[in-house]
Amino acid sequence: MIQQIRLGLLVVALVIAQVALFPHLRVDGVAPDLGLVAAVAVAYRHGPEAGAIVGFGAGFLFDLFLRTPLGLSALAWALTGYIVGVISGGMLRTGWWAAPVLGAAGGLLGGSLFVLIGGLVGQDDLVTSNSVRVVLIAAAYDAVLAPVIFLLVRWALSDPRAARRAGGGGWAT
Amino acid sequence: MLVLLVLSAVTLITLDQRGNTNAIQSLRDGANDAIAPVQSAVDGVFEPITDWWAGVTEASSLKRENARLERELAEATTAARRAAPLELENQELRNLAGLTSVADLDRITTEIVAGTPGNFGSTVQLNKGSEAGIAVGMPVVAGTGLAGRITSVSAKRATVLLLTDPDSQVGVRFTTNEALGLAQGRAASAMLTLSILLDPGAPNVEIDIPEGEVVVTAGLENGAFPAGLPVGRVDSAVTTGRDLDPRVLVEPLVNVSRLRFLDVLVWPVAGSEPGAGGGG
Repeated sequence: MIQQIRLGLLVVALVIAQVALFPHLRVDGVAPDLGLVAAVAVAYRHGPEAGAIVGFGAGFLFDLFLRTPLGLSALAWALTGYIVGVISGGMLRTGWWAAPVLGAAGGLLGGSLFVLIGGLVGQDDLVTSNSVRVVLIAAAYDAVLAPVIFLLVRWALSDPRAARRAGGGGWAT
Repeated sequence: MLVLLVLSAVTLITLDQRGNTNAIQSLRDGANDAIAPVQSAVDGVFEPITDWWAGVTEASSLKRENARLERELAEATTAARRAAPLELENQELRNLAGLTSVADLDRITTEIVAGTPGNFGSTVQLNKGSEAGIAVGMPVVAGTGLAGRITSVSAKRATVLLLTDPDSQVGVRFTTNEALGLAQGRAASAMLTLSILLDPGAPNVEIDIPEGEVVVTAGLENGAFPAGLPVGRVDSAVTTGRDLDPRVLVEPLVNVSRLRFLDVLVWPVAGSEPGAGGGG
């Protein structure tokens, strides 16, 4: 239970950072999707369903601050969490490269789904050539930040009792 | 589980799209108010840093812009001195006719506290909301040029849809003839697309729109903006006739990428609704 509470607080904190902090830290006018990367990290560690739930929750929170329809990010990020969870199920868990690669893949997939589903529900201005540029830059930004977010998610989902028994800090799993 | 999440999201999207937005808008307003103190704190910390970064990365363009602004200021000062008697005469005639000028409207001065959190669309968030008297639909100006209009308001925050957003449409008229047009934002561009409508008084007559022509809000009945707010300058000259539908580019007078303070005009909005396309 403590893990779920920590994860929930982490997702809220990431969305707040995305809304309040990262508009100041844009790269070529583009900000990263922190909540999406958190969903990808959860999907990587705990499978597609957990990734979809976190993606939905983070996307819903982020949607509250956007002009696009409420539920659009939630849908795109939930699908991304699920797909990444399915694909990463067969991956080796030891590579240092997993976080940036999955962060980039998740950013690419989540951004593309956001644009495509947005176009389907009448947000025509989303489907432009500029959206390709935005999605690519956002995916690269997600890849850079993914190692930190993967670490935070790992800490949130770690079992504190097991960590104490092992004599280590809260980062152990 | 995935099916349940997808159905929930589709339901939310449908409700929001169909305009059942009271509960959704309350949620959004609550979220914006809740995060307002954090945004103010972060803005306070980051303002000097972003100013420094802009100084480093944009020094040469800022120097050029400064020179251009000094030149324009000198020209504007001369023009203002010449226009002062006419302005006085105009004001007297307006008073006699009982008409309201844009210059007479009350203004609420605000500061931008955040850009759009997402990567799509052009909006900014202001540090004041309904508590300061701001309402949905009010025009927003920077100096004398139109910057956008208010699309949502919570108690402490207001969101401005900037001119350059693809959802933004402004009905405009030209200053040297009676032709009307519709200026619309373009995706990934600082320019506006101007669809020229013909002169309603003389639809068969060709209209010359010279380069640099200033377009102002048309102020049509039930329009979203008062008449006479400067919007932008025509980027390229065009001649339009009866069967043509020329589209030209207009450069906004307001540089939306460098905004910090905005004035909200206290202007009654007739028949407009949140998120509506606009018009003039």
